[in-house]
Amino acid sequence: MSERTHTSRVQGSGAAGSGLVDVHRRPATWTGLWYVLPFLAFYLLFLVWPAIVGLGYTFTDRSLAGGPVSFIGLDNWNETFTDRALYESLWNTLVFTVLSVPVMVLLALGLALLTDHARRLGWFLRFSFFAPFVLPVAVMALMWEWMYNPSLGLFNGILGRLGFEGSEWLFSENTAMASVVIATAWWQVGFNYLLYLAAMQSIPKDVYEAAAIDGAGAWQRIGRITLPLLFRTTVLITILQLIGSLRVFEQIYLMTGGGPNFATRTVIQYIYDSGFVGLRIGLASSMAYVFMVLIIIASVAQFRLFSRKEA
Amino acid sequence: MATTTDRPAPTAVTERPGALRRGPRPDVGRIALYTVAVLAALLWLLPLLWSFATSIKPEGETTITPPTWFTADPTFDAYAQVLGRGDLIRWTFNSFVTTSIVTALTLIVCVPAAYGFSRFDFRGRPWLFALIIGGILIPPQTLIVPQFILMTQLGLVDTYWGIALPQVVAPVFVFILKRFFDAIPCDYEDAAKIDGAGSLRILWNVMLPLSRPILTAVGIFTFIGAWNNFLWPFLVTTDPDTMTLPVGMGTVMGGYGIQYAQVMASAVLGALPLLVVFLLFQRHIVTGVAGAGIKG
Amino acid sequence: MRDASNRPSLSPPPPAHGVERRALLTAVLTTAAVTAAGCGTYDPLASDRTRLRQWNLFGGGDGLRMLQMHEAYQAEHTDVDFRATTFEWGAPFYTKVAMGAAGGRGADIATVHVSRLESLAPGRLLDPIDPSALAEAGIDETMFLPNIWKECFFEGRLYAIPLDTHLLVQFYNLDVCREVGLLDSRDRLIPLDGKDTYVDALREIKAATGGFGLSLDTWGPWSNFWALYRQQDGELVFGEDDFEMDDDKALAAMEFLYRLSEEGLSPRVSQGADTSANLANGRSGLMIHGNWEMTTLDATDVSFSVTQFPNVFGNHRTRGDSHCYVFPHQRDRDPERTRAALDYAAWMLRHSLSWSEGAGHVPAYLPVAESQEYDQLHPQSEYREAAENVQFEPEAWFSGSAGRLQDEATGPLTALHQGTRTPEEALRQLKRTFHAMTNAPAPV
Repeated sequence: MSERTHTSRVQGSGAAGSGLVDVHRRPATWTGLWYVLPFLAFYLLFLVWPAIVGLGYTFTDRSLAGGPVSFIGLDNWNETFTDRALYESLWNTLVFTVLSVPVMVLLALGLALLTDHARRLGWFLRFSFFAPFVLPVAVMALMWEWMYNPSLGLFNGILGRLGFEGSEWLFSENTAMASVVIATAWWQVGFNYLLYLAAMQSIPKDVYEAAAIDGAGAWQRIGRITLPLLFRTTVLITILQLIGSLRVFEQIYLMTGGGPNFATRTVIQYIYDSGFVGLRIGLASSMAYVFMVLIIIASVAQFRLFSRKEA
Repeated sequence: MATTTDRPAPTAVTERPGALRRGPRPDVGRIALYTVAVLAALLWLLPLLWSFATSIKPEGETTITPPTWFTADPTFDAYAQVLGRGDLIRWTFNSFVTTSIVTALTLIVCVPAAYGFSRFDFRGRPWLFALIIGGILIPPQTLIVPQFILMTQLGLVDTYWGIALPQVVAPVFVFILKRFFDAIPCDYEDAAKIDGAGSLRILWNVMLPLSRPILTAVGIFTFIGAWNNFLWPFLVTTDPDTMTLPVGMGTVMGGYGIQYAQVMASAVLGALPLLVVFLLFQRHIVTGVAGAGIKG
Repeated sequence: MRDASNRPSLSPPPPAHGVERRALLTAVLTTAAVTAAGCGTYDPLASDRTRLRQWNLFGGGDGLRMLQMHEAYQAEHTDVDFRATTFEWGAPFYTKVAMGAAGGRGADIATVHVSRLESLAPGRLLDPIDPSALAEAGIDETMFLPNIWKECFFEGRLYAIPLDTHLLVQFYNLDVCREVGLLDSRDRLIPLDGKDTYVDALREIKAATGGFGLSLDTWGPWSNFWALYRQQDGELVFGEDDFEMDDDKALAAMEFLYRLSEEGLSPRVSQGADTSANLANGRSGLMIHGNWEMTTLDATDVSFSVTQFPNVFGNHRTRGDSHCYVFPHQRDRDPERTRAALDYAAWMLRHSLSWSEGAGHVPAYLPVAESQEYDQLHPQSEYREAAENVQFEPEAWFSGSAGRLQDEATGPLTALHQGTRTPEEALRQLKRTFHAMTNAPAPV
């Protein structure tokens, strides 16, 4: 995404002279490299090196239990591409993404609009909607498991009082994924909400005043000014959310363990299951590589798609 | 993961007259608006409130169906039990230590790197920058297997350093900080240079003071991100003595039998540290998100 | 991304008030924390006591009893800084043991199923136990039944110290069985040997209760299958890339389970907790379940007793496993801690009467198992002889409690009870997964 524009900007910096591109460089020396080195060391050791070594693992039968390692060619790759469980976990990941992205974008927009208009409650609303975001995932999982508890939980208690039959929530193949999405939306929507809120509050107020003088009502102002001006923000939030949702693991692992009957097992968990539960480092590495490539393709495609639309 | 916003962003979320507040008479719309807002906020706080309500019940009352909100004799027994086991305090301490290491090291390595890329030319610079920025695209979750093996080889499994070090690699912060440095006009530095300041002095005396909001934002988000990070600490710790708060709470069984009040008490206690941080730094967090669009 | 505006996205700030103080505070705290970290792992309990860390997977009723035993142990051993950690049962626990051992800083001693020994890569993830050191702690092979003791070896070396045997037994609801006339004068279940006799009895019970005859756990069906398969002398041998299984005997066992649910003698779906509830509330008269469920039933007001796994195919063979102590691999094994760990294991064995009393497990330690006190425990003594009928799992790296074989077999066997698979279909699926597992390279 940004690398190309950035490189070009740096190269053209001498001529540009605008405030942003005001890169003030000294003649080529080694000084800059010294500043970059510490980060580079971390980057190479903990990111680049594992990425390279991990690719090597995919051609071996390396086990977490240790023992002799031998080269087995493409066996892991063959197994990866023919593994039904991997495709099922990819499907589950996709289902989670498709369910969660619209919810978390629209909900954030709605809550932000509410906050933007009910100004007097600003602090209270910001706290309420954003606070869940700072909760550790284990806390969030415990709270929602307790509310979802089919026999003792709050939700079925309320449903029962209203005369409805309770749901099995996390304990049924049919409802588990939706339950996880609801809990995730509650937990993570605060971030998107803040992005929207900031964007709304940066819209100059004279735009609204002009519209008000022209006789536009509150809903018209939202429809004709706020929403169109939020387009870029919406694109950004959607991209971030898509990428984030595809990487889902921890809240699902804690709430359902991937069950019932693997109905909520996502790719990251399947990689974990293969490598750490099943001890097969080589196989898990090739699965991880497949997923990494898929995510990178998805990310690049989104940036391409959205930036073309915008242009 | 992370990226930045391009649109002109506000430096602060400031109160401005509400768009709907200008009617001459108190209208139905506003009453409805505020009612909906309050209801939504309460709905959002419901899980927190319900957890607290459960945590102060005597254990016998937690399993009454249908559940009730209020108990006749509230008690903090569950809190005493949970704290008495000591685990939670230990994990909070571990989280604090590892999170502090991550935050400090992230700033210590990312700031100079951004400075170096922003202000200096050196051989291979565009190439290196591209390499680092490309890392933003790689989901760290897909590297867990080789990263864990690396930790076993370095002997860092079940250590604070094992938890912290891999989390320091945050190319997105280099990117964000470099953008910020790029935007600082050179006049300040030129003045300092005339006074004979070296590049390190300029970083320390000129760049850093000018970058305080972005450094605060990066620091806060690194802190929240590291505090709540689950997957990596979950993998690299097996010894309950070195686990962080989210990992310990998620993997170690607190006790046996029916004890929902205790579970909820530990949830409330586990939520507290960052809620306090959030209350203290609310303004910085809000502006931080607004300005940098960082996601951990 | 592209920059549409020419303005900096964050303009250099006006000096913010209050940030400085907080920044200073943060800096101080950070420095303090990093210093603390730099000085090694901070341990509020650090002292000259021997540090001993035990891991286990007892999250149920037996966990409560273990906690009580640990408190007694700690009270007697003030020189040991002892701490036990319970992880979630099954894969989460075993994964932590394996990863801790791979990292070299795992627990000093852990409780695992003896059936999982091979899957934990003895020699690499597990450290061997020196029999002479064990003898110094007062424990040797004469104190265990030979069939359990031999399970603790791998390639000729000792890796485990058995604590108990736990097995599938048959619980019966006294009131229901008395009504149907299945009790003798001393309130014991009369012999119901053979498939036909047994099924007839179940029909009578069902007629009386209006519910089921037999309550069993349809979500953990592998154990039931394995017991029934072994009652017919069925063999399951896994080789390099193939396996041997007796299709007829497997089908006979599956047929039996399938008919039970088909005829409504057993529930179609029943999870662990519901299974005991169905006996306690009188919806069934008999129940096949693990001995540890005794704690659960004790907590209800049902009057019940226990006997051996039903004799369906000519004997009372049952599926069982043993909890045992193992030493996860440690990079720098400390002899003093190893000795403390052995002493701890020996102490737990000598006090395993309490383990049996509170959790229903059969002590592996003969001096307790053959003691008068154990003889007098009721209903534990009713199934004491069943320990000799215990059938362990087939030998393979993927077998054992909460192992991959169990995981994979659950699908088709559950479907058998639900009626969505015929025995033939279930067998086909089972064999397919066996093929897949044998073909996959063994990671241990």
